[in-house]
Amino acid sequence: MNISKVEFGSLLTYTPRGDSEKAKGAKTAMINLKNDNVLSSGILTSEYIVQAMAREINTFPFADYFNSNAVLVPAPKSSLLKPDTLWVPQRITTALIRNGLGKSSEACLERVTAVARSSGQTVGANRPKALKHYESMRVKELLFKPKEIVLVDDVITRGATILGGVNRLSEAFPDAKIRAFTMMRTISNAEEFSDVEDPCIGTITMYGEDTSRVP
Amino acid sequence: MATETEYPSIDLRNLLGRPLNDIEEKYAPEIIYYKGVMQKPLPCARVSIIGTRQPSKEGILAAEEVSKILIENQVVIVSGLAKGIDTVAHETAIKNGGKTIAVIGTPLNKTYPKENTKLQEELMKNHLVISQYPIDHKTTPKDFVLRNRTMALISDASVIVEAGESSGSLYQGWETLRLGRPLFICKSVVHNPKLKWPKEMIEYGAIELDDPADILEILPSNVKMPELFQ
Repeated sequence: MNISKVEFGSLLTYTPRGDSEKAKGAKTAMINLKNDNVLSSGILTSEYIVQAMAREINTFPFADYFNSNAVLVPAPKSSLLKPDTLWVPQRITTALIRNGLGKSSEACLERVTAVARSSGQTVGANRPKALKHYESMRVKELLFKPKEIVLVDDVITRGATILGGVNRLSEAFPDAKIRAFTMMRTISNAEEFSDVEDPCIGTITMYGEDTSRVP
Repeated sequence: MATETEYPSIDLRNLLGRPLNDIEEKYAPEIIYYKGVMQKPLPCARVSIIGTRQPSKEGILAAEEVSKILIENQVVIVSGLAKGIDTVAHETAIKNGGKTIAVIGTPLNKTYPKENTKLQEELMKNHLVISQYPIDHKTTPKDFVLRNRTMALISDASVIVEAGESSGSLYQGWETLRLGRPLFICKSVVHNPKLKWPKEMIEYGAIELDDPADILEILPSNVKMPELFQ
């Protein structure tokens, strides 16, 4: 892996263990997004969040990520994927394009070997490393070489999936500008959680085998 | 003779209190027949505890432990009224003052297995029993497979406590993964060298369950998602 630092944009936050109403509401938002639940208004959660994002896009620090050159690449699940299975990042990239954000959605990054998970890893230190993610992914060829790529994920924890994926993409498309976007980011310490709405730009950095995400 | 009044029906979407997405719609029954006192839409969170009809002592203990921890945290236990792990899950919920739902593969006026007739009566009286089959439906083995998919659909997460290679629980496991919901497999099962299915399910996203309390982290509460950027 040659890239050890990646810039990412992010719209929302949640905390897995907060007891406040705000924290519980944010966790509901995360679960709704992870399941792409249909909301009582009849709209899919992915579409609802993207519509809200599209309305305000010019006020967000990552507005320029979704320019007319940006090819949006959904992040693969940590597991293998059977047909007809829910794949939320792909539903997010489709919704973004439908709402005029970015040039196209290209599912060109795929998982070829699964990265196993165990319970307790939501905030745990023993999560799979970026190198493991990198080794388990491959890039499918595209007809046209993209100038800009945004790797899109639903929820970010430490950023290992993103860093592994960005390294794979940079090998396949060495001339492309590559950034990442995650709809939500995990705030491990409930005391540091303030609001579900918290648009920001941050960085994911490699430190030895581990990754560190700021903010 | 059983009547519609005795076993009323409800649209599955009204039972869950929300519409379904395209992935959920694929195998969802339109109508659910029910008997019991549980509120509708169903309270959340709901977790399926499922597994073999011939559990080991360790399997029974694991089913009890997982069920108890969930019940202490007001989680509704969902299972299929079968012998073995299903029965342990329902009975643990009853004994510990929790709520439980049986999703059965027969019409509501039938019981399978027969030895769970009293348990079904108790659940119909104080909890909830649901079926996607009308009272005149003739049961076939496939009905239990479809029932397992329905059970996955009404559960926020599923836990396979112990199961062999031909267990019906595996249908629910695969459907849970297809829906993108958390599927937990107890650690001892994952590391059982005689079993192939846990490794395969782990490859497709199942989660090895270290500590039953970890399930709580991914469950929804009754607090609604806030409106965003209004």
